[in-house]
Amino acid sequence: MLMHSAVQNAAEAVVGGAVSAADAARAFALPEVTEGPWWVALIPFLPLLGAALCGLCAAFKVKSKLPAWITVALLATSFAITVAMFQQLSGGASISHAFRWIEFRWGPEADQIFTANFSFYADNLSILWMLFVTGLATLIALYASEYMSHEVGTGYCRFFAAFCLFVFSMSCLVLGDNLILLFLGWEGVGLCSYLLIGYYYKKPSAVAAAKKAFIMNRIGDLGLLMGIFLTFVHFGTVEYRELFALAEPYVLALQQGRIGDIPAIVNLIPVLLAIGAFGKSAQFPLYVWLPDAMEGPTPVSALIHAATMVTAGVYLIARTYPLFLASDIALPLVAWVGAITALLAATIGMAQFDIKRIMAYSTVSQLGFMFCGLAVLTTAGGVFHVLTHAFFKATLFLACGAVMHGFAGQLDLRKLSGVMFMPGWLIVGLAMLVGCLNLAGFPFTAGYFSKDLILAEAFITPTMAPIGWILLFTAGLTAYYTFRVFFRVFVGPKEFHPGDDAHGEAETDVEEHSEQVEQGNPQAEAVGEKAHDVGDEAHGADEAEDHEHGHGHFHPHPPGWAINTVLATLALASILAAGLYFIGDKGWVDGMLQSSTAQQVYLTQEGTRASGYALVTAEPAAKGTFLGFDPHKAMYYVSAVVGLIGIGVAFVLHYLGRTEAATSRADKLLPAMGPIATWAQDKWRVDELYDMVIVKPLRVISHIFHVIDKLIVDGLVNLFGVLPRMIGSALRPVQSGQLQGYAVGMAVGLAFVLLVVVLMAVAGAGVAS
Amino acid sequence: MSEKLAILWPEIILFLGTCVVMILGLSPRIEARKACAAVAAIAIVLAGIVGSLAPSGGSALLPELMNYSKGLIAIIGLLLLLLATGTVDRAEERAIAAGQRTFDPLRATRGEFYAFFLFSLTGLMLCASADDLIWLFLALELTSLPTYVMVAISTRGTRSQEAGVKYFFLGALGAAIFLYGFALLYGGTGTTNLTEMHAYFAANGLNPIATAGLVISIVGIGFKIAAVPMHFYTADVYQGAAASVSAFLAFVPKTAGFLAILAIVAAPGWAYGTSGESLPPELRVTLWVIAALTMTVGNTLALMQTSIKRILAYSSIAHTGYMLVGVIAGPGDGSFTQNGVAAVLFYLLTYGVLNLGAFAIVACLEHDRGDTTEPDEADHIDDLKGLCRTKPVMGWVIVISSLGLLGLPPLLGFFGKVPLFTSGIAAGEIALVLVLAINSAIAAFYYLRLVNAALLSDPDPKGETLRETPLPLRRVAAVVATGGVIVLTIAAGGLMTAAEQAGTYAPMTHDEAERYLEAAGRASQAAELPEAP
Amino acid sequence: MTPTTLANVDLVSYLPLGLIITMAVGFAVANVVLTLIIGPKREGKTKGIAYESGMNPVGTARKRFNVRFYLIAMVFLVFDVEVVFLYPWAATFPNIAPGSPDGLMWLIRILFFLFTTVIAYIYGYRKGVFKFD
Repeated sequence: MLMHSAVQNAAEAVVGGAVSAADAARAFALPEVTEGPWWVALIPFLPLLGAALCGLCAAFKVKSKLPAWITVALLATSFAITVAMFQQLSGGASISHAFRWIEFRWGPEADQIFTANFSFYADNLSILWMLFVTGLATLIALYASEYMSHEVGTGYCRFFAAFCLFVFSMSCLVLGDNLILLFLGWEGVGLCSYLLIGYYYKKPSAVAAAKKAFIMNRIGDLGLLMGIFLTFVHFGTVEYRELFALAEPYVLALQQGRIGDIPAIVNLIPVLLAIGAFGKSAQFPLYVWLPDAMEGPTPVSALIHAATMVTAGVYLIARTYPLFLASDIALPLVAWVGAITALLAATIGMAQFDIKRIMAYSTVSQLGFMFCGLAVLTTAGGVFHVLTHAFFKATLFLACGAVMHGFAGQLDLRKLSGVMFMPGWLIVGLAMLVGCLNLAGFPFTAGYFSKDLILAEAFITPTMAPIGWILLFTAGLTAYYTFRVFFRVFVGPKEFHPGDDAHGEAETDVEEHSEQVEQGNPQAEAVGEKAHDVGDEAHGADEAEDHEHGHGHFHPHPPGWAINTVLATLALASILAAGLYFIGDKGWVDGMLQSSTAQQVYLTQEGTRASGYALVTAEPAAKGTFLGFDPHKAMYYVSAVVGLIGIGVAFVLHYLGRTEAATSRADKLLPAMGPIATWAQDKWRVDELYDMVIVKPLRVISHIFHVIDKLIVDGLVNLFGVLPRMIGSALRPVQSGQLQGYAVGMAVGLAFVLLVVVLMAVAGAGVAS
Repeated sequence: MSEKLAILWPEIILFLGTCVVMILGLSPRIEARKACAAVAAIAIVLAGIVGSLAPSGGSALLPELMNYSKGLIAIIGLLLLLLATGTVDRAEERAIAAGQRTFDPLRATRGEFYAFFLFSLTGLMLCASADDLIWLFLALELTSLPTYVMVAISTRGTRSQEAGVKYFFLGALGAAIFLYGFALLYGGTGTTNLTEMHAYFAANGLNPIATAGLVISIVGIGFKIAAVPMHFYTADVYQGAAASVSAFLAFVPKTAGFLAILAIVAAPGWAYGTSGESLPPELRVTLWVIAALTMTVGNTLALMQTSIKRILAYSSIAHTGYMLVGVIAGPGDGSFTQNGVAAVLFYLLTYGVLNLGAFAIVACLEHDRGDTTEPDEADHIDDLKGLCRTKPVMGWVIVISSLGLLGLPPLLGFFGKVPLFTSGIAAGEIALVLVLAINSAIAAFYYLRLVNAALLSDPDPKGETLRETPLPLRRVAAVVATGGVIVLTIAAGGLMTAAEQAGTYAPMTHDEAERYLEAAGRASQAAELPEAP
Repeated sequence: MTPTTLANVDLVSYLPLGLIITMAVGFAVANVVLTLIIGPKREGKTKGIAYESGMNPVGTARKRFNVRFYLIAMVFLVFDVEVVFLYPWAATFPNIAPGSPDGLMWLIRILFFLFTTVIAYIYGYRKGVFKFD
């Protein structure tokens, strides 16, 4: 193993002190690194191949669903390989070297080399991530094959090319064995997210949302980038296996309470990395891009903006967990940011009417939970929540997408009701129910167990109890807004107003509607009778179709086999994920993570006291409690009750006595709440705040700089530009085209050079004598 | 002597290819004539493979130089060959196909063109394996002589002929100058073998005759690399020749010249003198002055041109100046960032690719003047206007190539330029690096003009006759070169390592040199040489 | 090889030289005689003038004449130079020790050289240099 001896020595000198290198206790077990099989490289490169093929399809103007099938097939293969790797992996980590990428020698010493290769680091953490990334990507690609069917043509190819590229980037991010490759993937997923949010690029709001996402992410990326720079500056490497070994002495120092031994830069690195994570995972204050990102097609929202890409931040922290453990400020920061985000997003989510947006805020909120999980030292809880959330949130999004697809882009919960009982919508409704139960933390669902882990550990970790209380309260809010959606949209009186295809999915819908009708779906038509005409005026395409069939109304079209299959699979997976909690001693995920570097770390009592904040101690006495009870046991009941209260409130306010889609009992409460409700609906006006505090001043400054730029900088530049031009015009006559002139020029030039040399020689002789 | 044969197989393969091409090009059957380019391509590929796998040989001072250079020559040569398709005999072949004329071997120049192409590459490869002044001279001339004819026959117009004649006479003058330098070197050291010469310098130091020989040789070889004061021909010749031939001129003689300069400068070496850490001062000053002037002259003259080929010609002069910085810096401690020789070798690759993309745009765009005459090349900068919109592929080719030549990260040109800077700084040539930096900034003016025209301007309303060339291989060359600008950045690490290795410099110490001379039976002879007054 | 000087040779050494001179002269004379005998004879005014290679000996010197003159001259040069190069090779060849592998290499070298000449000849032939119309 190549060690950066100088850095290593420095680190040991810092940490050394009382403990000599020989008898140094290990802060955590470094995994044994073996050489991995070559075919791990196929996991990212198959999707890349897919992207290339889809690009080719676009070039050849393929007008079929071929790109979708290519994507599904390659992603499924990728998933199968991941499973194979999972089977082969036993505990340690393996590195599969694909090819040399960057190797930059910056000094003569053997270790003065900057290495970042295309190598893939497969350990339990990364493979766990890849399992659900590739698995979900396959399912969602299948779903999208139907969902995007009205775009068949270049747009279809473009969608799937970006989709494949996303999976490639995400795989690089997760599997890369160094921070540079992670950064490549990080930027890659950002790019794909940009491309896919702006998929309907003719729509200004989509373009604005894409830009917003990109710029917000830049802020976070700056943090990440600086974190990587500092990592290299301090540790001299960006490769995980070396990095973890080098970070270990610092973790040990913190464990033993020798905080003074940890240099400021080591404290700073995880903070910077965390800022990167906040940007990508939409945490406060960088969360505002995610709700807007819902302008993209729904499968994208499900895959990128709910299940996978936004968990990249969680992954980053889990991956570089040893660096975070070496700092006594980074994890508390993560905890507080996570908690604030969770609460804030949940309150906003309660007041929204667009169901996709509600899901977006709930994603932000749940990501806050995951960050808290990592920060209160239950990596297992955080990662388990990522896993369960990936499944149930994908289910929720895809169900919402099915609704949106079927009702011509209608997403307003005041305009839809009783969808579940309309013909053909049962699977969607049931999937939605499963998703909602999970999200609300209904007892014995997967979401319930994963959330409990986080809540309980928050109470156990000393000084983190406030986080626990915030999260507990948020859990109640979550249950409420989740079931608010369910009770309003999926059950209750049947009623709908079709949208105006605001999400740009119109044109070819017409044919599909007519197919539905021709196939004879009398019930659908019967339901249609009840529909109001409000949305229809704006819906020119449907009018044409209506005219053809002699009806005056819009017909929702229930999802086809692909969507239903995927929804059923995902819902089933969400339910079954609960079983993972019962595998092994402390759950499957915990078992997995304990053999990776994202393991829980135990501190000595001194460490706990010295750091003020800290890590789970071995002594039970130092553990926190929940009002005197064992938090783990208490949480089973408390969180179940909180969840049920939330659901109950939603049931009373939004189901009981509701006769039409637009209003419910909750409306009567609004005046009593005063401005709070409006403010929550306006997302606490955070966007406006940013606009006022950041954008407007920047604009003013930019005007000032513009003037400076025009007068001074441009002046200088122009001066600089004029000078070479003057030289040029002076030289120009020499280029006369005359052969003789050129020959003379060459001779004179030679003479000049010789003269210089002779003068030098003479001068040298003069000096010498 | 027979041991040299082992490293000469690439040249022999190229030569055999030349023989076949020369005969095939005169066949009355069109299929046979068309096979010329294919045969040439096969010869180049084979030569490249054999050349890069051959046992290392050539000069003992730069022992690893040969294989890298031959591989590089083959790669760029192949791209140049793609670009050269249809340079000669287009109208003639069209007339024959239309039945207006029968094949007349006296009018056909296809065979000669490809044969000269291969001859020139043969000479270039010979330069890479040269370890003797006579060998070097013959190799340089074998590189250059065919290019004179290629320029003259590249288009049917009189401009090409004028350019060819001009190029020939000035080339002869340049060759005379460096041959004179070689003669002085022989006079000063009593040997033409470069290794022996190095040993002589290491043991006895420079004498005035040898110094004059070195300086005159370098100035003379400056003609091949288009360095001041031998640069005058560049713009006229590049403009007069067809774009594909200009691209050839910008790479092949330049590479030959740089290989020759490296071989000659390696003789006194970068570890000359008792301190053992620098070039001989006279040589350093010569190169310094030439480098600084070359960059500045090239860049400032490029600012005011409207012809793309002239812009690229002057930019080619400027790039020569950049690369000379690497020559001055020398091998340093051997690591890539400090090794100027490696920087030059790597830059030759990046410049070859980028330059090809830029010239390809002129070769690929033409003004359609009806069927009767050969179409004109679209050489005016206005022809590029709005190209990204009207002909996106071509537009992006010029945009990416220009940005690459400018050295914009993360394109290939950037990776090429960085080691020039770092090696220059490592060698302590801060002032020259500063000149290099300022010149890179000046270069932005005209490169961005090309980018601006293609990317941001509205299409020229007069440009209706503008069309893409019907020759698909030229477009392939353009796209491959442009793709290379991006793709090679990913593989840059490996290429850099290869260049780093190729830039290995193996000088002798004073004692080693004396032992070497003794073994060569030259110890007494060296002492007998006339000392300078 | 010891240097040869006039002092220690007899006239027999000059026999090969005499043989070559005889052969050369004989070849030339035989050719002329043969042409006289088997060649067609056409008399004409142009042919009757002193410098008969198609040029008018009187008149301005600055006139264009057929490019084939140059081509012929070039082809002649090719063979001429070839012969020049053959001499040193022939002179060195006996120095090689019998049975040494160098011998084969030397033979291959000159054959390669002759091959290039053949290529030049074929090239000239196909280019139509030898066609007179």
